[in-house]
Amino acid sequence: MIKLFHVKKVYPGDPPVLDDITMRVEKGEFVWLTGPSGAGKSTLLKLLFCAELPSSGQIIVGGRNIGRITQGAVPYLRRNIGVVFQDFKLLDNRTVLENVGYALEVLGVSDWDIRDRSLERLEQVGLKHKALSLPKRLSGGEQQRVAIARALVNEPTILLADEPTGNLDPGLTASILQLLFDANARGTTVIVATHDRTLLTRYHKRTIALDKGRLVSDA
Amino acid sequence: MIAHVAWRLSRRALVNLWRAPLPSLVSVLTIGLALFLGATFVLGLFSAQALLTGWGAQAGVTLYLDRAITDDQGRALAQRIRGDEPQVEVTYVDRATALKRLRSDLGDLAGALDGLTQNPLPASLEITPRVALAPADVRVLAAKLSQMPSVEQVDYGREWLDKLEALGRGVRVFGAGALFAVLGAALLVVANTIRLAVYARRDEIEIMKLVGATDRYVRAPFLMEGALQGLIGAALALGAVVVLQKWLLPQATQAFAFASGTVAPDILAPHMAALLGIGAMVGLFGSWLAVARFLRT
Repeated sequence: MIKLFHVKKVYPGDPPVLDDITMRVEKGEFVWLTGPSGAGKSTLLKLLFCAELPSSGQIIVGGRNIGRITQGAVPYLRRNIGVVFQDFKLLDNRTVLENVGYALEVLGVSDWDIRDRSLERLEQVGLKHKALSLPKRLSGGEQQRVAIARALVNEPTILLADEPTGNLDPGLTASILQLLFDANARGTTVIVATHDRTLLTRYHKRTIALDKGRLVSDA
Repeated sequence: MIAHVAWRLSRRALVNLWRAPLPSLVSVLTIGLALFLGATFVLGLFSAQALLTGWGAQAGVTLYLDRAITDDQGRALAQRIRGDEPQVEVTYVDRATALKRLRSDLGDLAGALDGLTQNPLPASLEITPRVALAPADVRVLAAKLSQMPSVEQVDYGREWLDKLEALGRGVRVFGAGALFAVLGAALLVVANTIRLAVYARRDEIEIMKLVGATDRYVRAPFLMEGALQGLIGAALALGAVVVLQKWLLPQATQAFAFASGTVAPDILAPHMAALLGIGAMVGLFGSWLAVARFLRT
């Protein structure tokens, strides 16, 4: 599903952010991507959804070589990848329902289907009753659940989450992670970047550790 | 699918305009002001051209005839020219009338003519264009009439016409240059204004791209908004130009003696369509530039 071969990412004038990363994630896996701040976790996720290009090396996602796809093909690749961020990235002037439906709009789905499928996802994350609220009126945990609903609404094969629980208290963290485990149980490949080691000890999953841009362990 | 996506994008463009009225208003007013300046400039150019043509029309042609011809031959020549050149009025001035006019023009000095034993003045034909003729046309007419039999000399105020022509050329060249400068500046201002509006919605663009929107899909509502803003701006500019042309300009021309009688060209349906079209294109192109820059970064 995801393969990286000797991937390097360097910004001019700085030491490598990622250096000689080779790894493989199979379809349907759940993987923790961990390491201290500045280890290169976020950059690695950005490479996977084409927000950045590698300086060298090969990245294969769903059979497509990211280094070789054209700029015009990037949106079509992203439609198979859901992304969740620490800061949620919701539109404050759109309702919860509209925020979730956004990912379906770009696919050309009809208004009626968008509404049905968005409500279905909101029900899964327990926020159907807040469909017409604005994100600002929701708690941090609720906003992250909306972001997860948006990431999953078009049923992507891969879900990437960058510190999805970074801003949340432990009680909310468990509920957010449960949503990610549920998505994984339905067959979605999930990669979660986190620097929170308590999560790794509490939820035993495959863990890839980075440090100063290098892959230091995979267990 | 295409129809409902187009409908959705149009709806989004309208909603965006509605949700951010201030940036939209700034864009509309900027486009309106730029187009108003441009249209006023073009109107001024046409008026100046009309004024110059009017002055050219006042330049008559005088044909001085051979002294040997009789009045009957002179009148026959006048008749012939009337037949050949229906766009001009022809007046035959016989030698006696010419002398009488000279005497009248000299006033107190007319006594100097008393010593003449015979009338030295030739008969002449005064040619006056019925409609306004461009200086070049007056020149062609004079050249043609000089070929007529018994015409000894042609006077059509050549130097004056040359200056008028040079002035006309200068107005056209300066006008075209200034018009391009005004439109270019307008486009840049519009593009920057729209870019600010686009910048204010960078989060929305980022999220659209994140969930797999193509550049075309991201760009479409902005282009529609730009075109709509351009159209509204052009409509405002059109209203202002019509007010200027119908009400202010006639009052202004009355105030200046040299411009009296000069009428600015009418604003017809094709002119209105052109202005609205230019407005929509400026808005569209301005948005394109703004979004393209943003999508690149």
